[in-house]
Amino acid sequence: MKEQPFIQINDLHHKYLRGTPLEVTALRGVNMTIYKGESVGIIGRTGAGKSTLVQHFNGLIRPAQSGRVLVDGQDMSDPHLDVRRIRQKVGLVFQHPEQQLFERLVGDDIAFGLKKLGMEPAARRERVKWAMEMVGLDFDSFKDRFTFSLSGGEMRKVALAGVLALRPEVLILDESTSGIDPRGRKELLERLLTLHHEYGVTLVFVSSNMEDVAGLVERVYVMDGGRVVMSGTTRQVFAQPAELRRYGLGVPQVTEVAHELAARGIPLANLPLTVAEGVDEIWRILNS
Amino acid sequence: MEDFEFLRHITIGQYVPGHSLIHRLDPRTKLSVFLFITAAITFNISYTANTVLVLTMLLLVALSGISLRYILSGLKPALPLIIALAILQLLFYGEAYVPYGMQSRTLFHWGWIHITNGSVQLVIVSAMRFIELFFLTSLLTNTTTLTDITYGVEDMLRPFSRIGVPSHELSLVATIALRFVPLLAEQLEIIMKAQASRGADIAHRGRLQFVRSARQVSALIVPLFIDAFRRAEDLILAMQARCYVGSRGRTRFVRLRFGPQDYVAYALGLVYSVTMLALRHRFPL
Repeated sequence: MKEQPFIQINDLHHKYLRGTPLEVTALRGVNMTIYKGESVGIIGRTGAGKSTLVQHFNGLIRPAQSGRVLVDGQDMSDPHLDVRRIRQKVGLVFQHPEQQLFERLVGDDIAFGLKKLGMEPAARRERVKWAMEMVGLDFDSFKDRFTFSLSGGEMRKVALAGVLALRPEVLILDESTSGIDPRGRKELLERLLTLHHEYGVTLVFVSSNMEDVAGLVERVYVMDGGRVVMSGTTRQVFAQPAELRRYGLGVPQVTEVAHELAARGIPLANLPLTVAEGVDEIWRILNS
Repeated sequence: MEDFEFLRHITIGQYVPGHSLIHRLDPRTKLSVFLFITAAITFNISYTANTVLVLTMLLLVALSGISLRYILSGLKPALPLIIALAILQLLFYGEAYVPYGMQSRTLFHWGWIHITNGSVQLVIVSAMRFIELFFLTSLLTNTTTLTDITYGVEDMLRPFSRIGVPSHELSLVATIALRFVPLLAEQLEIIMKAQASRGADIAHRGRLQFVRSARQVSALIVPLFIDAFRRAEDLILAMQARCYVGSRGRTRFVRLRFGPQDYVAYALGLVYSVTMLALRHRFPL
């Protein structure tokens, strides 16, 4: 099942403000494959082209310039393609939640996409309820609240629920964990893992927080200057701290500790990526 | 295919870095010449004068080093409006309009529709004027940074502060308003992308489905305004946090200075505009 590619990107280029004196190149030849049912991280410093890339995944930007994007076997440069079908399969949650809520009431905002799909009111209600439970919002107390009176963390949950309600096969989170408090962040990551493991949702996680990436994804792509510069399993990528530092990134703190210990002559058997793994490894050394 | 990149189509107000002669002029010179030529354009109905004005604009564009294609790309979204206005003027304006300095002749008359030589001239000249003003505004804003425009406006209004005109505050208001245009375009892009991501049908909006497009626009306007107010509140806080008190006792790092090229450009602009205004008596057609 994992061998089936869902999103395939070939030599993709993109320029903003194309044809004007203010043209900016955002992508210069990206190659990437995302398989059905996996969880992938895309990391890179600001301006590396991550957001531009993921907007190609659901057809918000179409490959008009050069390169090829295949999503679920469909060529995204085809002008007759029904992008709405693709967007239902590939859900995208943006960076700033307060900028993507547009209805007056929380319930209406989450139901927006379902209404556009023409779903029956009763089924819609059930789906909204499910989506709100998934993100940890109480249906009865939140559905009639004004979206603009919510706190930042609640807005983020509503934005996520609005995308989840469409039951996408692929969920893309573009820096969606930045700016939440530690507990909210932990809860969100746990919910994403549930979605991934229990519902088989493919996760694409764009982040500059190495801890979150390490705890969530199986594979990592590193981007810099509009290109993919490193890729591999999460462990392979975080085993190269010097390269990551060159691209303005780092490794999770636990992994950093392991690299430091190795440099001082105490190599750990396995490179830890999470605190739990780190504790296990250190415990093993202390006991031997 | 839908295109969410609105900034690509807004060329007015977008500074394009460069080192041309026009870029280097003092903003006060540019603003003054802008006003002179605007007057010349506004009060000219003759074909001759407007042809000269269009050619002048092309010359200025060449001098500015900004590509003509870029400026014209900003005109494209306005074309349907210009054409619709031209048709309405042509069909219904003939009866009431008496052209300056010439005999009114009816060219075509059927029911309400009344086309005279005057209304034909009005239509052609209006389109030319629109294009001239568009070029002029593009040139000013493409070659001058917003900061420079603000300083220019503030300095030019300063003499009026004696009679209580708050020149600094007025130019500040204008700057903030202009600064918000690209921000609103960006915000609109984000909201439309968020709606499209959740299945809003933005691609298939028919050109003639006015009611549907209007309803879709209203779904965008409300969040857009809420965001604009939020930004405005943030801006107020930021200004207060930095003890902004207006112009009182405030000095400035950049001092504008007139160079020889400014005197020349100023004089040329003034002479040119007066000549163009005089032309309208010499060549009424």
